[in-house]
Amino acid sequence: MTTIARSISRMFKPKPRKPSPFQLGWGKSLLLALPMLLLTALMTFGQVMSSGQPESLVLLATLLVWVFLNVLFFLMLKTGRTDRYRALLFVVMALGFIVFFMTTIIETRGSLALTGANMVSGETPFCHLVIPMIIIPAALTRTIIFPGSLLAGFASVAGMIVIWTGASLVLGRAWCSWGCFYGGLDDGFSRLLKKPVIKNINRKWTYLPYAVLLGIVLTSAITLTPTYCEWLCPFKTVTEFEAITSIETVIKAVIFVSLFVSLVVVLPILTRRRTQCGLFCPLGAVQNWTNKVNVYDVRIDPEKCTHCGHCVTNCSTFSLDDSCMTSGRTLISCSKCGKCIDICPRQAISYHVKGTRPGAHQLAARLLFLYPAFLFLATFGGGMLISAIWRILRLVTTGSMI
Amino acid sequence: MSKLKSFLGYLLAALGIPVILVTFMGASVWMKTFVSITGVTISPWYTGGEVAYTVRHDGYRTEIYTPVFQALIGERDEGFVQVAWTPKGLVPARIDEEIDYNGDGVMDFRVQWDTKTDQATITPYSAYVLGLEGVYALEESHAVRVDLRNTR
Repeated sequence: MTTIARSISRMFKPKPRKPSPFQLGWGKSLLLALPMLLLTALMTFGQVMSSGQPESLVLLATLLVWVFLNVLFFLMLKTGRTDRYRALLFVVMALGFIVFFMTTIIETRGSLALTGANMVSGETPFCHLVIPMIIIPAALTRTIIFPGSLLAGFASVAGMIVIWTGASLVLGRAWCSWGCFYGGLDDGFSRLLKKPVIKNINRKWTYLPYAVLLGIVLTSAITLTPTYCEWLCPFKTVTEFEAITSIETVIKAVIFVSLFVSLVVVLPILTRRRTQCGLFCPLGAVQNWTNKVNVYDVRIDPEKCTHCGHCVTNCSTFSLDDSCMTSGRTLISCSKCGKCIDICPRQAISYHVKGTRPGAHQLAARLLFLYPAFLFLATFGGGMLISAIWRILRLVTTGSMI
Repeated sequence: MSKLKSFLGYLLAALGIPVILVTFMGASVWMKTFVSITGVTISPWYTGGEVAYTVRHDGYRTEIYTPVFQALIGERDEGFVQVAWTPKGLVPARIDEEIDYNGDGVMDFRVQWDTKTDQATITPYSAYVLGLEGVYALEESHAVRVDLRNTR
């Protein structure tokens, strides 16, 4: 038990060599946590109360999630560490998402297997990974090439597009570390080992997401089907799957499971990197460009930096290389997870607001990023967590999650 | 100039929270606005398209959809037509009906379908009818899709 507890604690504990320059006293931390306390109350309890009188188990789940969220945000402020607490919430959100998704699908459709009738009826939940594939067909045919529902039901097409657009405008690629409900899986697995088994990864692999993106955008436009969902999505393994009715569906299932095991489980464990997010995800490639249109980034102070390379070898999404330490800027794929900021032994890395002088008002820049990023994660992930915990509480009290 | 850039930077950064709040709180309004502005619909390859005309029977009706040949640009050489029998509870267990899918007054194929066992057969009357694509037990109806060759 002690060994398990120690390895879980290690998962979320980078090795800072000095206290963070962003750590605050109790009073300031409590004061700065207050707005988040109120905003998360509004977004979690407000959501639950808006659908009428909730049952007591839902209220209990909401209360537990609200407390959990605010303890983590308070600790971010108090300790000055970002990634340690973000990652914990991010991983819990991904696990909560699986519970929430699977139980909701079984409740609404009766099975996790996706049948032809489900597709004709528009009962397939839409996720953000589909977005790059629908753009060209939508522009030319004014139709969405996805068997979901535009407005109604669980995870509608328009709902997901609206949330992704809002988040991308504000956070850019931070979506991948503060919003994506799949990202927590490889983030979690990448923290299991203390040291990486595979250390050297050729940087050419970081171009693979662009190749995958190009491939799926073109094939989806030609076939008018979302080819990534049909053939390549590793997360089918932990969400829903096409009913096995033919050799083709067997091949697809083998591909989904193989990609999940290799990209989301084994490679992240061996490399201590988020290999699915950094080396394969086509939405990540799109998300890189959204980093250009938002106001937050991460900067390295070349004067403080000693070129130790600690940040380069530890960056989960391959967003730092040797040139960054001289230029003072991260690569376009930075997901603003905060890991490099937490672990830099010289405290040379910080959040930054574009347009302002690098290095100036670092605490203000950190807070200006943390509030919207955490609020997004708390609202988007909090809803899923509430549902997941409610299902688990239901299981404990009634013997059924459904 | 640098002060103005700093001011604009901080202003935009401070707008992050309101934008996130507005995104979630106004999601239902944004969703409807998105759909009405873009005018997008779900691809007919999934929905079956629009109902072209309806044949009424005693207690139930047959809905013949517009054939789907949609391509990225223009039309495909092959597509399908969806035919649905609704409401489900009133549809006879054994369907046997001739269908004129293009509304030209000439029957194009015959559907024989035992909805209890899902055994369906299509008898084409025209060279443009290629065969059965699939049968679907939907919430409100029983539907078949029949593969077609494009006449245009």
